[in-house]
Amino acid sequence: MTRRISKYKRFMMMNPIIQFFKFIYLSIKVLIVVAGGHGGTRNA
Amino acid sequence: MSKIVVLGAGIAGHVAASHLRRKLSKEHEVVVVSPNGNYQWIPSNIWVGIGRMKPKDILFPLAPLYAKKHIDYKQAKAVSFHPEGDSEENKPYILAEYVTGDQKGTQERVTYDYLINATGPKLNFEATEGLSPGKNKAHSVCTYTHAQEAWIALEGLIKQMKEGKKVRILIGTGHAKSTCQGAAFEYILNVEQELRRHKVRDMAEITWISNEYNLGDFGMDGMLMSYGSNIMKSSEMVEMIFEDRGIKWILGAGVSKVEDGVAHYETLDGSYKKESYDFAMLIPSFSGHGFKAYDRSGDDITDKLFRGFMIVDADYTPKPYEEWSVQDWPETYQNPSYSNIFAPGIAFAPPHSISKPRKSKNGTDITPAPPRTGMPSGITAKLVADNIIEMIKHSNDELHHKGSMGNMGAACIASAGFGMTTGSGVSITTYPIVPDYNKYPDTHGRKLGKTFGTIGLAGHWLKLALHYAFIYKAKMKPFWWLIPE
Ligand SMILES: Cc1cc2nc3c(=O)[nH]c(=O)nc-3n(C[C@H](O)[C@H](O)[C@H](O)COP(=O)(O)OP(=O)(O)OC[C@H]3O[C@@H](n4cnc5c(N)ncnc54)[C@H](O)[C@@H]3O)c2cc1C
Repeated sequence: MTRRISKYKRFMMMNPIIQFFKFIYLSIKVLIVVAGGHGGTRNA
Repeated sequence: MSKIVVLGAGIAGHVAASHLRRKLSKEHEVVVVSPNGNYQWIPSNIWVGIGRMKPKDILFPLAPLYAKKHIDYKQAKAVSFHPEGDSEENKPYILAEYVTGDQKGTQERVTYDYLINATGPKLNFEATEGLSPGKNKAHSVCTYTHAQEAWIALEGLIKQMKEGKKVRILIGTGHAKSTCQGAAFEYILNVEQELRRHKVRDMAEITWISNEYNLGDFGMDGMLMSYGSNIMKSSEMVEMIFEDRGIKWILGAGVSKVEDGVAHYETLDGSYKKESYDFAMLIPSFSGHGFKAYDRSGDDITDKLFRGFMIVDADYTPKPYEEWSVQDWPETYQNPSYSNIFAPGIAFAPPHSISKPRKSKNGTDITPAPPRTGMPSGITAKLVADNIIEMIKHSNDELHHKGSMGNMGAACIASAGFGMTTGSGVSITTYPIVPDYNKYPDTHGRKLGKTFGTIGLAGHWLKLALHYAFIYKAKMKPFWWLIPE
């Protein structure tokens, strides 16, 4: 069954204050994935 | 002294050229050969296609920047590859043809010690009958000119909707083997939001058409991801978004022909169907540019360099899906026949798709081609540049910098609507890009903490912040290299 976006979830998604903190969290999280590095797979 | 020639000034070519220039002393030559005189930040084409940005906001001319940074720039296109030179020219070279100014049409042998082929994809509209940007009411957002034309058409349609016309909008992939579903996904959500902003949403039926087997496949075989405190499939996430936005979907569809306002497609169950529309945006298939290569005596050696895209250190042995592994994917993007030729970004030939290949009952391959998004394009370009720098500095051929898409993460911040307080973004990170089923057998080949999704306003701000950050970086402004690829 399809999940729905509840009114509460939508409020959380669009509230600028909550989203400001989310923005900082997301920026760091993305940076961690990017800065997490990369490498080969064949000799791993 | 070494001469490095970079073909293409897109994300991969420009990243490679700028890092080479920063790290190599001026005695070494860095030459960029690219036909488009502008650098464009392609991800923001989505916003050009809904009229919220102008082409000038997402591009800048390359020539002044390259002149200032001592990068030699030729506004030309590569025509053929001569990795052994020929009877008249001892050094390897590419034949380039100028595309503008007094020199237009003249050809030049551009010799090199190292060659980086970062020519990206050819937008292969011809592979779908009738598909051409701006024709048959079907559009593209793959370049800023296409996106601008799409917006002009969409704006006209919005006017008609305001006058009471009910319309059908079709967005997705325009070929059975298209890639870049992510871009089409962003565009459909942005169009939907713009229609709401213009208060005409109820006048439009919006449909997603795609060669994906499941929603949220994105050419990456879908993802299992953390979503808040839950674990969710990308298919469930996209379905939730489409339901929320009232968007219908058609899956497993290989569009084969486009007529005025009608898209013909075949589905995996073998039926042939059509969908009518008043406005469509269909991503074409991507192909190699059809370059030819010749050896010293002039014999055709195209097979040594290309299989559509450029051959690199991937394992191209044909094998069934069940036997695919991350080890098939390239690590250094070096051509196995000519160790001074590399192909980062979209220009390299992938070993196979990432999504499970599927054929229709009639035998038509309906499988998304593997995406090579901006981040891996930048990362692979930088590691190629770093390897070349080491080869030059240490006069050895060992390649220490490696970056397989099977051991690399990617962030995909998909815009879901423009606006500082009303915008939205679907932020997804994936690690690794190519699923490693041996390492992560229980989580669909990916590491859960690093593979996550979230929806909301913050995603829009992040996408906008990345737009400005990457244009700043591309302009090589102070400390540009601190911004990661
Ligand atoms: C609409 C859209 C939205 C996207 N959004 C995102 C996103 O949000 N995030 C993300 O990560 N990725 C996104 N992507 C994907 C991203 O744009 C690509 O991954 C990236 O552009 C690939 O870089 P590239 O340098 O390999 O190829 P390109 O950027 O295509 O560059 C190729 C270069 O080669 C040049 N060239 C072509 N032919 C020749 C020739 N014969 N000789 C010399 N030069 C030549 C071209 O002029 C160009 O400069 C999006 C793509 C599209 C189409």
